[in-house]
This record gives sequence, C-alpha cells and structure tokens, in this order.
Amino acid sequence: MVVITTKKPVEEVLNVLKDNNAKKLFLVSCGVCSALCQTGGEQGLEEWKEILEKEGYEIVNGLVVDDVCDNREMAKVVRKNDADIQNADAIVTLSCGLGVQSTIEVLSKKHPQKKVFVTNNTEFMGMTERIGRFYMRCRGCGDCLLNETGGICPITTCAKSLMNGPCGGMVNGKCEVGNYEKDCGWVLIYNRLKEIGRLDLFSKLRDPVDWSESGHQREVIWR
Amino acid sequence: MVEKKIYSKLGEKLANGDFILTGELEPEKTCDLSHTIQEAKEMAPYVVAANVTDSPLGIVTINSMAASHIIQKEAGLEVIWQLTVRDVNKLGIAGMIMGGHALGLRNVLSLTGDHPALGDMPESKPVFDLDSATLVRLVKEMVDKGTINGHEIEHPPTLHVGAAANPNADPMEAEILKIGRKAQAGCEFIQTQVVYDLDRTIEFLSEIKKYNVPVLLGIFPMKSYGIAKGFDTFVPGVDVPKDILAKWKNIKTEFKDDKKEQKRVYDQANYEFFKPFISELKRKGLLAGVHCMAVHYPRIFPKLMEVIQA
Amino acid sequence: MTVITTKKPFEEILSVLKDVKKIGLVSCGSCAAMCQTGGTEGAKEMAEKLEKEGFEVIVTIVPEEVCDNRLMMKDFRQIDEDLKNIDAILTLSCGLGVASIVKALERKYPLIPVFIGTNTEFMGMTERIGRFYMHCRGCGDCLLNETGGICPITTCAKSLMNGPCGGMVNGKCEVGNYEKDCGWVLIYNRLKALGRLDLFSKLRDPVNWSESGHQREVVWR
Repeated sequence: MVVITTKKPVEEVLNVLKDNNAKKLFLVSCGVCSALCQTGGEQGLEEWKEILEKEGYEIVNGLVVDDVCDNREMAKVVRKNDADIQNADAIVTLSCGLGVQSTIEVLSKKHPQKKVFVTNNTEFMGMTERIGRFYMRCRGCGDCLLNETGGICPITTCAKSLMNGPCGGMVNGKCEVGNYEKDCGWVLIYNRLKEIGRLDLFSKLRDPVDWSESGHQREVIWR
Repeated sequence: MVEKKIYSKLGEKLANGDFILTGELEPEKTCDLSHTIQEAKEMAPYVVAANVTDSPLGIVTINSMAASHIIQKEAGLEVIWQLTVRDVNKLGIAGMIMGGHALGLRNVLSLTGDHPALGDMPESKPVFDLDSATLVRLVKEMVDKGTINGHEIEHPPTLHVGAAANPNADPMEAEILKIGRKAQAGCEFIQTQVVYDLDRTIEFLSEIKKYNVPVLLGIFPMKSYGIAKGFDTFVPGVDVPKDILAKWKNIKTEFKDDKKEQKRVYDQANYEFFKPFISELKRKGLLAGVHCMAVHYPRIFPKLMEVIQA
Repeated sequence: MTVITTKKPFEEILSVLKDVKKIGLVSCGSCAAMCQTGGTEGAKEMAEKLEKEGFEVIVTIVPEEVCDNRLMMKDFRQIDEDLKNIDAILTLSCGLGVASIVKALERKYPLIPVFIGTNTEFMGMTERIGRFYMHCRGCGDCLLNETGGICPITTCAKSLMNGPCGGMVNGKCEVGNYEKDCGWVLIYNRLKALGRLDLFSKLRDPVNWSESGHQREVVWR
C-alpha cells in the first residue's frame, strides 16, 4: 500500500470528460493505496459522486475495489457489473496509473472501445510516516544497493542520483536543490555508515547505474 | 507573407526550389577525420551539403558537432549536422545549438537517435529529454525568437532545422501524423529513410505534401552485392527488392575477374534503377531533391548528378 | 499491493552478512508476500537457509506493511527484548521497508544495521501471481487521459512524448529485437479505435522535470 497518489484538479478531470463526451460514468475507486492517500476508497468515491452529479453527470455505478491494479480483482468486477459497464460512456478510476491500465486490460476482450479515465496523479512509491505524510524512498531501480549504503538510497535521496557523492552542491550537509533546506543524501549515507562503523563502504568507488535493462515494458515473470 | 530568412546554401537552394542532392558522411570511433574529409572532398562538387551522423545505431563515434565543424572547415563542404536527443538533455542541447552556430554550422537535422541498448555502451542512461519534434521547436525558438525558454539570447544562432521521415513505417498514418507534429513545430526540410518501394513512397509523399515541407528522398545506391545484401539483412524495416539483389549478385559473379568493369556495371545498374524512380517522383512534384545515404561510395555522385538533372 | 520485488541471489545476501551472527528477520506481509519474496513463506525459507549457514535467527516478524512507519513502530515495541540481542536486521520487503525500519529504530536503536534480501523492480500491474508488468512510473503528472489510457513513459523505450520514432518497424520496437510492441503504435491504435486521433496529432511538451528532484514527498497534514 505504497503507491502514493494525489488528486488531479477537478477542472482537469471535468474537461477530460467533456472533451470525450462522457456523460454516464462508472466509477471504480481503489480500496488500497488510494484509500490510504484519500484519493480513492469510500471517501473519495462519495466525494467524486457528489462533484459529478452536481455537474449533471449520471453515475451508472460506483464501487470500491480491493486492488484495481490486480487484473484478477478487476475481472471479477467486470463480470458482476457487465450491464452497467455496457451502459456507461466511460469508466473513471480513482486509483494510480496502474489501475487505469489494469481496467483497460480487463475490458480489452469484451469492451475494447470503452474509455477509461483517471482522477489522480501517481507520485511515487512512498514510505508512510502517517496519513498525510508520505516520502519517496525507493525508485525501483531493480538492483538494490541499500546493503552498501547503510540503508539509505542515494538514487532517491541525492538530487542528482549520484553513485559517488556528495557533490560540490553540498553546503553544511545540505543540498543545493531547494535552497539548502533538504539534507544531502550522501552526507546522510556518510553519517550512517560512520555510525555503524562501515566507512570502508563509503570509500568505495561505485560504477554508474547500469541502464541496459531499464527499458520499457519491464516485467517480472516467473510462471 | 514573411520572407524566409536564408542562413545556408541548403536553405538558399530549397527556397529557390532548385532540385538538389545531399550526401552523408559517417565519422567513426576515431579522433582523426582524414578519411571522412577525403570523402567529403570527393562528393563536394556534386552535393549542396552532406549530413554528418551522430553515433548511429547507438555505437559511440566522435561527437557529431566537432566532426561537422572540422569537415566543413577542412573539406569546404557545407554540412547538415545530425543531432539526436538520445544523449543530452534540453539544457545541454540548447548549449550545443549555440556552440554549433559559433562553430559555423548552419543546418541541423533533428533526430531521436537509436536507443543506447542497441549500441556498444548499452548500460548508458537513455536521456530523450526532448524528442525529435520538440528539438525542432527549440531550435526554431532560438533562431526565430532569439530566446530559450523565454530567456533572451545575446547573439541568437541562425540555423535551418530539418527532421526525418520514414515512408516505410507501418502503420503509415501514425508516421504521417507525426510529420504533422514536426511541421507544426517549424521543421524546414525533411530527409526520408531509404526507400525502394515506389508505390508506397508516392502514397506517403502525397500524404505529407499538405504540410508544405520540402522533402529530400533518402536513397541508398549499392556499391556491391555484399553491401546490398547487408543492407537488406541488417536495416530493419527496409527491404531491398528481390530482383535488385539478384541483379547485383549476377554482377558480382559475372565480373569477378575484372574489378574495374564490375565497378562500372554496378554504377550503371544503380543509375538504371534510380533514374526512373526519382524522375517519377520529381514529375509528380513530390520532391525537393535527393539525399544519398550511401557512405564510402563517393564515385557514384557524378552518375547521381545525371539522375538529378534528368 | 503493487511494488514488485525479486529475490537477491542468496550469495549476495551472505556476502553482506559476513560480520553478522544474530539476525532479526522482517518479512513484509503485503506486496512482497504477493511476489513470494516475503510474507510468512519467504521468512520461513530465508530463516532455514540462514540457519543452515550458521546464522542465528533470533526473531522473525511478518508486519502487515513494512513501509508504514506506524505499523513498524508497533511491531518493534513488541520485540524490544530481541532487538537488544541482534547484530542486524534483514528485511524481505521493498526498498521502502528499509527506510521505514531505519526510521522506526532511529531513536532507540540507531546502530542496528538494516539489510535487504530483495531488489525492488517497479510499481506493477498484476495479471496473476508470477506475472507482473510495469505500467506506471509515478511521474506525478498523469497523461493517461490523453493517450487512450496507455502510458508512453512506461511503454515507449525512450519515454518519448511525441512518438513513434524511427526505431519502430511494423509496430514493433528496436529495443529488444523487435519483439515488443511500440508503445506509440499501441496509443495510435487505441486512439484510432476510440475516434480520438486528434489527441494523437497533438504536439506535446517534454516532461517537466523541475519537480522530479530528490526526497519527493506528499505532505498534506
């Protein structure tokens, strides 16, 4: 439950619906990450229903779905609500970007022409401090080096994602990006490695990130 | 109508509506450009300008801005500087456009560039901050408005900017709409991917005519059977027609003992294939000229000149 | 439950643990459980392997979500005695888990090293267990509403905003031997089917990277 989303401006979403001439809508609200971020879940669903109905849209159906990003969950929803989906001009997901694509994938056989729109922007994979305080701490590089950096990720904490920091933009442990208000990621790593007695790891010259597998349409398939 | 500003010989010829020929030079992984300069000198009497490639196939070569400058200076041949968005972000590219101008470059061709994964440093970070259309738009902003992101340039660059098009693309409509985007961005000329299929080329060029951008047709005269075969095998999406391959194979065997005669026959065969092909497109008013992409084959240019002038 | 992880090679984990004897195992009960890199099963498997190599697994916990500081603080309170007795923590979670554990321990046990047994791949869509696909990179400015619901940033190898590029042949991409679909042809096909090719013709601005920075956060209270 870690995909952090924020709400798109209401006008942006309304413009998209208008531009696509979508009047009858089927709302799918994610019950997991987006519920935590208050961009989905029951609460988000009620909010959007109210907004859209006030603007004259017809809500054919509105559901909270456990994991919109899981094709299996969405396939169930589609099976049970086929008539409503048929009847809707568009599906609107209150989820992350994965949810949109999962919905399209599941609809691809029976309703390939159904439009799917999203109300959220997807920000990052986030650590939750508490509701309303989410921090990007991992970018999914696929080759985790936290074991060598005292558990602090340079790719997300260094503004330049450097592998051999700190750089000349560090002043008194702070970063040049954002007016020297944020900590320099590499100073954090230095402090931590020093604390745990592993400055030998800090001294190491590291290779640049290997981007050859970064490609597109990445997948993890083991069965 | 605003009068079009001219910054180069290429710009001038295109504005005059002259039917022109451009060539291509491919610097390699070297700091010594003497071979490329020699080739440039050989094609110089025939072409208006020659493209200088930017690490094609993602294989690292000498930087194309440096090579363009040196070739232009040493060979006295105007260049079309190929610039990909693969390796440098917006900020770097804007700096390069000013640097390119300061080094005397007056034509730039905006390209996406082959993905680093294809080349010999596959672990490189793919940049692609801009794309081929937004690079065109950036150059136009810098040249026409004298600004970058709205910030004034003290002495703005003056370059003509072109882009690529692929008549072989399937689906074709997606490619056509993309040319529309490039035209909208301000693209001043187009050089196409190599073509062999006349019907397809006519269809494609007729479709993009509405964008009013002069088109230089990409052709690849084949120096030998080996090169023709290699091109057919290794360049994805471009098929050399079967009868051409057969004819070239025939030349290879028939004249294997007389290399001089073999060369003459190959050159003649190229002439015979491309003459009607180009004449037909020229007659239909679909072309502004021809871009010959056959590198290391400068002796073909006198023959191509005959084709162009026919 | 969408952060897709894979297992690090066991030898790599062993080499990291070379100065460690007594281990506390944290295994995520959420995303990593689904990816079979964590959860109860993953923890059991790892504990057995480690014990076979002579390590002592002092304690194992399977928190509901390792990336949630609140849950981790609760879970750590319950094993406080064990924490005093371990050399390091090994977490079977995504990279967020490590950050979350370090944070949860920072007051009381700042010196416990935290190691990780997985690689974090991407935010993934689940087709079924064992088939996960990257379909979102969290750019923060979702343009799916304009691209027929297909993301060019994840489906185009070059993350182009104005594709397809010259590397497309018959709808396939130059990266990976023309086996994968060109993302922009997918977008073209979908927009055509939806009758929205006007959106395809649009010249799009480059991605705005000015907010891409580091230590990104969403804080609203």
